[in-house]
Amino acid sequence: MTATPTQLRPTRRIALGQHMNELSLLAGIVVLYLVFASTANGFLGLYNQVNILRDAATIGIAAWAMTLIIISGEIDVSTGPMVAFISVVLAYMLQWGWPTVPSMALALVVGGALGGLAGVLRAHFDVPSFVATLGLWSVLRGASLFFTDALPVSIGRNDVVDALDRSVLGLPPAVLIMLVLFLVFWFVSKRTAFGRSIYAVGGNPQAAFLSGINVRRIRITVFVLGGLMAALSGVLLLSRLGSGNATAASGLEFDVIAAVVVGGTALSGGRGSMVGTLLGVLVITLIGNGLILLGINPFVQQVVRGVIIVAAVLANIYAIKRSQGRRG
Amino acid sequence: MSTDSGTAPVVALANCSKQYPGVLALQNAEFELRAGEVRALLGKNGAGKSTMIRLLTGAELPDSGTVTIGGAPLVEGPSRRAAEAYERGVRVVYQELSLVMEMSVAENLFLGRWPRRSGVIQQSEMTAAAEVALSRLGVNLAPNRTVASLSPAERQLVEIARVLIGHPKVVILDEPTSSLADAEAKLVLSAVQRIAAEGIAVIYVSHRMAEIRQIADSVTVMRDGRIVETVPIEGADTREIVRLMLGTEAAERAAIMPPPRGTPVLEVRNIALAPKLSDVSFTLHRGEVLGIAGLLGSGRTELLETIMGHRPRDAGTIRHDGRNLSGSSYRAMVRRGFGFTPESRKDAGIVPMLGVDENTVATDFGAVGRWGILSPRRIADATRRVVDRLHVKTARTDTPIGTLSGGNQQKVVIGRWVHAGSDVLLLDEPTRGVDVEAKAQIYDIIRELAAEGRAVIFVSSEIEELPLVCDRVLVLRGGRLVEELTAPGIDPDGLLAACLAA
Repeated sequence: MTATPTQLRPTRRIALGQHMNELSLLAGIVVLYLVFASTANGFLGLYNQVNILRDAATIGIAAWAMTLIIISGEIDVSTGPMVAFISVVLAYMLQWGWPTVPSMALALVVGGALGGLAGVLRAHFDVPSFVATLGLWSVLRGASLFFTDALPVSIGRNDVVDALDRSVLGLPPAVLIMLVLFLVFWFVSKRTAFGRSIYAVGGNPQAAFLSGINVRRIRITVFVLGGLMAALSGVLLLSRLGSGNATAASGLEFDVIAAVVVGGTALSGGRGSMVGTLLGVLVITLIGNGLILLGINPFVQQVVRGVIIVAAVLANIYAIKRSQGRRG
Repeated sequence: MSTDSGTAPVVALANCSKQYPGVLALQNAEFELRAGEVRALLGKNGAGKSTMIRLLTGAELPDSGTVTIGGAPLVEGPSRRAAEAYERGVRVVYQELSLVMEMSVAENLFLGRWPRRSGVIQQSEMTAAAEVALSRLGVNLAPNRTVASLSPAERQLVEIARVLIGHPKVVILDEPTSSLADAEAKLVLSAVQRIAAEGIAVIYVSHRMAEIRQIADSVTVMRDGRIVETVPIEGADTREIVRLMLGTEAAERAAIMPPPRGTPVLEVRNIALAPKLSDVSFTLHRGEVLGIAGLLGSGRTELLETIMGHRPRDAGTIRHDGRNLSGSSYRAMVRRGFGFTPESRKDAGIVPMLGVDENTVATDFGAVGRWGILSPRRIADATRRVVDRLHVKTARTDTPIGTLSGGNQQKVVIGRWVHAGSDVLLLDEPTRGVDVEAKAQIYDIIRELAAEGRAVIFVSSEIEELPLVCDRVLVLRGGRLVEELTAPGIDPDGLLAACLAA
């Protein structure tokens, strides 16, 4: 910064401060790449890079909606069971010989409706969203296990479903869907009345209400989106595994929430960004991928991951505080 | 309640001054209080009451002068001073209740100092002690009830009982009845009388003259950081006290000459909301600024919130442009062209992390976009118009509103209804916590908005500002409209006297 012409300094500094979160995450990703590239065999290979993106899609698609939910001051812990439940429901529909595309659409609707149920409990009955979605978590996991006896529900050969797992331009469709949805969610959060209302509701629900914003509708809608995105992940999971799986996506909700929080979104609501979440998803995915390549004991992997996540958030908070301190 | 003038004062301020940045909060204050005496402390906002209380509790050091408690001056520095004053027996009961709702009365009375043996709380011992403490106030409350189940007056009594436990010498009560209805307030008053009868000195901050006459021996009036006078309550005339509170400040602004009255916009008839409002009726006209004066707890906020449909009312009708609005929700009222700015800007007015722009256009996203997709250029234009129009001082339209001064925040909160094109504005204390210059600007803005044909209701607890802004002022006391004054005949003395009554 010393080389910058003096008259440019103030604006530069403010711009830097505003993007401190993203910059520090980018730096973190570079560090992770350097570490894993030099220690893990095959990390930089094309095959592994595509794999990273595929894993990122699993977390990312749900994380886009989770970002909006957390910005609105709420939380959704039902993601993992929702993904598994929808994959099971869709597998049964296909087993019964229902037409594929309408079945998929119906599966998405079911996901959105279940999410909306949690939203209604929050918005109209003041059930804390953690409790509402925790209930949903248990119900969905239990129901999937009960109906399938914890066994995979095979769907046999299905051209449409198989097509969903065939690479386009060398990338799995899930990755493309994730990237397209990222742009959609980025636009919604930045440029629509709905998106900005989410920030207002999360930042000060009372003020948002007094401004005439329909706070209840906003709260319900973010949970509908949460259910919808989890259902979409469920559909993609089915296409990847070729079967509905009641035990799949175990603990996914924690990866998703971790990605959003590492991305700089405040759990208290009102602050966060889609770009931050995108970088957060990459951080979480890279950690998972690299630790597996290094052949570390899977139990130790969990320990290391936990430490890295907390360290990342801590470093981020520190970086933001420092840049704000300098500005003020 | 006998005042033994032969004994030394329990509390004394001698020639105390306190300067804050930009304001002399207290100037050469002389104050004395004897055991068993009840002294009412009167003064409008900013007169120096809080500063004086803070000196007595040791929360602040005087710049000069001495604070004497129990016959000896406070000597400690800032870090130990509050503890020193506490040890000498100074206790305060603040307006904001500091009770833990879900704990029992007994647990609250001994909060953090529960009687215990090796960490285990001695329930029976605590209950017995709580009963003794409550009976001292003549209160019959089961110590095992949770505070959440108590009435507001009972909670206030628990708060008072709590300060009595450590055998205080002086108890300061800061508007203890402001949120209570008259019948409930009686419980608190009789408790205060019992405290005084035990020989404890009481400083009673309140604006309710009827109460003051019941319990106080004398009244100390403060104004602009000075103690103006202390008068015995017997024979004190309310008008005289009002004159002491307001002084002889001439109105620097031209008096309002009301324009010819426009057509009725809002007709409020027989609104009731137990226990806060009863039988409130008035009519608001186009182009009119209607002031509502009243003390804290008189039902001002409740009235506005009831009109806006934010609180369901028990009875009464509201008509807008001749159409009956019964059971309209808050959002329906907003769509009809009503705008409301809340009393607490920080809690309910602004979304601090969002920009001035988004805080402005949130009332009508439709005007700055199409099909829910916002146009950044139109947001900037709309915000720029409001910022220019209301003289908001902000570097950029997207500066986070939390970084602006209180006055500029308030202008944005009003401005968002200008953006929405609202034609009835309900402003609850729009000048609270706002500096003098911004206040004057807000008065001008309100007059301009009215001149354009909007109708404005302006609620204020600062009596002096009502004549500067309003065409007409209604006085709300104990949930009823008791008086109506019309410009140019609105004088602060008359208003304040009507608010205080008795």
